[in-house]
Amino acid sequence: MAETDLRNYLQDAIRGSRADFTEIRLERVWSSAVAYRGANLEGATTSFDAGGFVRCLNRGYGWGASSFTGLDRLPAMVTRAHELSLASPRDTPLQLAPVPIRIDEVRLDLDGDVRGVALADKQALLERLNGEMLAADRRITDTQAAYHDEVTEYWFACSDGSMIYQLRPHVTLSAVAVAREDGAVERGLESIGLRRGWHSVQNQEELFRNAAKRAVGLLTAPRVKGGTYPVVLDPRLAGVFIHEALGHLCEADFVAENPEAQAMMTIGRRFGPDFLTVGDDGSAAGLRGTLPYDDEGTPTQNTLLVQNGVLVGRLHSRETAARLAEAPTGNARALSFRHPPLVRLTNTYVANGKGTLDDLLRDIKLGVYACDALGGQTLLEDFSFTSGHGYMIRDGRLAELVKPVVLAGNLFATLDRIDRIAGDFRWNQMGGGCGKGGQVPLPVSEGAPHIRLRDTLVGGEIE
Amino acid sequence: MIELLIEEASRRADAADVVMKTDETLTVAFDSGRLKSTSSAQECGFNLRVVHGGRLGFAGSTGQDPIALLDAAFASARLGPQVAIKLPTPAPLPTVRTHSPRAATLSAVDLIQLGRGIVDRLSIDGVKVNLVVERSIGSVRLANSCGVEGSYDVSTVSLSAELVQVRGDSVLITGDHVAAAESPTLAEVEAMVQRLLQRIAWAERDATPPRSGNLPVCFTPAGSAVLLLPLQQACSGKAVLQGISPLGDEANGPRFSSNFTLVDDPLADGRSGSRPMDDEGVPSQRLPLIEQGVVRNFIYDLETAARAGTQPTGHGRRSTFAKPQPAYSNLVVEPGHHAFKELLALIEDGLLVDDLLGVGQGNVIGGAFSQPVGLAYRVVKGEVVGRVKDAAVAGNAYELLGRVAGLGTEAQWIGSMAVPPLLIEGVAVLGA
Repeated sequence: MAETDLRNYLQDAIRGSRADFTEIRLERVWSSAVAYRGANLEGATTSFDAGGFVRCLNRGYGWGASSFTGLDRLPAMVTRAHELSLASPRDTPLQLAPVPIRIDEVRLDLDGDVRGVALADKQALLERLNGEMLAADRRITDTQAAYHDEVTEYWFACSDGSMIYQLRPHVTLSAVAVAREDGAVERGLESIGLRRGWHSVQNQEELFRNAAKRAVGLLTAPRVKGGTYPVVLDPRLAGVFIHEALGHLCEADFVAENPEAQAMMTIGRRFGPDFLTVGDDGSAAGLRGTLPYDDEGTPTQNTLLVQNGVLVGRLHSRETAARLAEAPTGNARALSFRHPPLVRLTNTYVANGKGTLDDLLRDIKLGVYACDALGGQTLLEDFSFTSGHGYMIRDGRLAELVKPVVLAGNLFATLDRIDRIAGDFRWNQMGGGCGKGGQVPLPVSEGAPHIRLRDTLVGGEIE
Repeated sequence: MIELLIEEASRRADAADVVMKTDETLTVAFDSGRLKSTSSAQECGFNLRVVHGGRLGFAGSTGQDPIALLDAAFASARLGPQVAIKLPTPAPLPTVRTHSPRAATLSAVDLIQLGRGIVDRLSIDGVKVNLVVERSIGSVRLANSCGVEGSYDVSTVSLSAELVQVRGDSVLITGDHVAAAESPTLAEVEAMVQRLLQRIAWAERDATPPRSGNLPVCFTPAGSAVLLLPLQQACSGKAVLQGISPLGDEANGPRFSSNFTLVDDPLADGRSGSRPMDDEGVPSQRLPLIEQGVVRNFIYDLETAARAGTQPTGHGRRSTFAKPQPAYSNLVVEPGHHAFKELLALIEDGLLVDDLLGVGQGNVIGGAFSQPVGLAYRVVKGEVVGRVKDAAVAGNAYELLGRVAGLGTEAQWIGSMAVPPLLIEGVAVLGA
């Protein structure tokens, strides 16, 4: 179906709905993927995916939703969603905060449309990058190299009158190098994910070499002795820390129906030192978590969460905004047409402070410099995150490489331990993504300067 | 479309196989005790493999254009890996229940009624209940150029419950899950409710962490993921082939306790990983991975087996957009001889671990871990005395599975895994 035909098809479906409120997303996705494992090509494939998601809401009832592959059954799916809403009676009404009606078309820069690049060229690119890892050191025994691209045509329409079309690219490269010697096995990981195209994945040899170097270096690196240290987080890990530790707590769906949680997250409450400012910006130019609108048609924006150490905001969908009588922030995001929108983070950041990494290190006698992030998890007020590697800090300087460290703690206590924030902010666009409610990996990014924490529990070897 | 695809692919290629998976899932979600939404998700996709000029090509689509799918598979094969795989030939399939006609007919109203009953049972002051009740029906159809034509129907009914308790700045989130081909029985629902209520009750009091040291730790079925995840990765034929599995070297590999047995069982009655054949048409078989502490088998799909020069074990899994990879069906840790209370009674001073934070991040297959507790309790003289925070558990999964002091008599199904509680001696606990 051509673009204009699809638009009419969508409009007819909205008009044909008998529900009080109807919302539809349709997607067509062209993607390709290449993967290497060790010296072997795993495969090079192209795929096509298409489908839609319909949500209906009726007074006195909950949401009814239907998702489906293929685009040809939309009218039947609207009926289905309406019927499922009517099957779900509810005494307290679900309401949606108003958002401006938008008729818009946004074609993001495809940056070298991946659909016009031969699969053989993508394979050749990854073969070369994988080769960089294999050739880096004789101790590299295994690699996983992956290239993935996609171009998505996306339509959003709702019965309020909005109709939004987006053309958006996405490309990721990831490198895993495994080094082995004398029974020890270590990994080095690197990845990038960008809302860009073919041009931006050129000249990434360094990324793959770094993964191999890291894996080899970690073979002989000692484990940190478990205990309490001053810890300096590099910007990558500082970003993941703020995403995990604070970002998720600011998603309003956690507090919307829970008065005790609202009390814990009262606007105006102190969160960390007065030089801590944190926000989430789905509209920041050129980032992986950036899109013009969220999946409810709300324009994305920069939302301050903590300003000078005081909680000032939270992230909303239309539903949580109505529940708490606040304004939607453009954070209702769905992984794909297979999923409903949830309140999610976009590009989460810690604002710049002052000084350099050296300034943060200078007065530390014995500490840990934790770099990169393998991941993080939050149980809301308790969290943990795992660094990719680290260095000991000795007498104010970086010393030996150490194995990945697990940092964990209580949010409030840890925020209070932030004693320095440097002035070297940068955004990090790693591959992977965020997970919530079975929707993973959602493209997000994080940005931060170096951050220093006092007396932080580092999990390591226990003697 | 599947017949057309295999006919056309067989004409143009040396060999080919195609899988079609369909699924319709009805989901009812309760948010903080209130019915929030009812959703239906329909999915239909094809995954095609061709062997052409000795090279493998793959393509997947949810679209309905067979020519485009064939062209994509042949384009993939022009670049694809050269591996001499042998597609299976027609063979009788074992009988296993994967589908319940009764579950298949459950309506939204039935699911809402089931959900309301559970929400009521879990209602406690100050605790929010989130619950998802799901009924899924689907089918798997497979055909290949060697004449294999197989299909089976699948149904799953699942309950996922989560309790959220916020007291001051202290948050407790705990979840539980039941899934099977058939609707859960009243007893199964009640067992899930009791497990959840028990965790809240145990957490009523805070306990000081024990003094740091090597202590006995009882891992609940949910808490044992930190021990079993490395094993899952290490028992994959792919890890062995790549030389990164610590179990690949029989002579120098770890020694597990003789009471520890791990089996992949696709023939378990009506479980979510049950199936009569894998996604490459290889008939299912029960496969011991670790038997009484001894490593017996690894899992292989066709391609990994061909590369490793061994036989496939019937563990190929593919989705619409991914080529076959070795994957488990139902993973079962065989239960032991101790009632849960008896396991706790063996603990003088130690922990009961239900959830660790950050499991699965880092170098999982290496086995070494050091994780803070998400939900754990202190156990003194066999009794749970309260919830422990600000503690961490560390060790190496392979070494710890060589110190299994006891296993519970009852395994709990978590998704497609069945695991009993495990008591391990001498686990490093970082506490006070």
